[in-house]
Amino acid sequence: MLIQIILLIIIAVIVLRLAAKYRAKELPGKQFIGWLLLWFLAGLAVIWPQLTVDIANRVGVGRGSDLVVYLALVFLFYILSRLFWRIERLEKDLTKVVRAEALKEKDDSSS
Amino acid sequence: MKLAIIIPAYNEAEKISSVVLAVKAAQPESLIVIIDDGSSDATAELAASAGADVLRHKINRGQGAALKTGIEYALRRHVDAAVFFDADGQMESQEIKLLAAKLAEGYDAVLGSRNLGRALNMPLMKRITKKLALYFTCWTTGLKLTDTHNGFQAWAGTALKLLDLGQDRQAYASEVLHEIKRLKLKYCEVPVTIHYTDYSIKKGQSIWNAFGILWDLLIK
Repeated sequence: MLIQIILLIIIAVIVLRLAAKYRAKELPGKQFIGWLLLWFLAGLAVIWPQLTVDIANRVGVGRGSDLVVYLALVFLFYILSRLFWRIERLEKDLTKVVRAEALKEKDDSSS
Repeated sequence: MKLAIIIPAYNEAEKISSVVLAVKAAQPESLIVIIDDGSSDATAELAASAGADVLRHKINRGQGAALKTGIEYALRRHVDAAVFFDADGQMESQEIKLLAAKLAEGYDAVLGSRNLGRALNMPLMKRITKKLALYFTCWTTGLKLTDTHNGFQAWAGTALKLLDLGQDRQAYASEVLHEIKRLKLKYCEVPVTIHYTDYSIKKGQSIWNAFGILWDLLIK
């Protein structure tokens, strides 16, 4: 089906970009493997949708695509909260740096 | 008593000179500390030429963050006490001595109250929001107050050293009250006059900020 081809192309592009990042050393090996695994599973689900249906039925969810959506939502919220806290910490650190800089500049100019 | 007047300022070029000069006239012996919080206008230069000690945040970090920078600087200069003051000209520099006098009586924290004093031309929506914020603050801190989020305050140096402030933005104003509670500080309120002019309303917090403050307090 067309949708499978489209999704596979998207996944392929994402994996290629991940690989490029890994090669450019922007992505640590552990994270690279983790993402690779995630997209590998996504690819499997696209090629054999029946797989997700079987798993869904086993855990008590009606349709395979529903299960995928649920899992994706949980994952997204997890990522979102991690990002939120990380930004929060960055903001606090940024304030500390800006403050230290302001005090130092003042010391330098008055001494 | 060696006093620091700490004034965070963000893009206040229009008013900063007159505010510094007025504070200087009222408190000639005090150390006037302006924290330019990443302004894009000439706030820092104007404050310096009016005779203030100016510290510059290279990036805007919020009023709470600027205040804390001022506190650290004031403590380094070994002041006995500090007064928090606004840069937009809505506070009366003549009233600084009223707050300082209370510190001399032995209070750790002296909070300005516009409900004991006079709030001139406060818009209705602001009045309602302040009232709700007041109930919320009294309820969460257990302090008996008539005003909340009034930036006009005086603090003894000994209390300033203990303050643990982490809120960069407006929520710091609630945070200081929680600190009074936590540290069991001796506090009181003093009536002050707040002038609500078109300029200060434009520069000040909008009603929607109340939601931002709640978010900062509850979530972070």
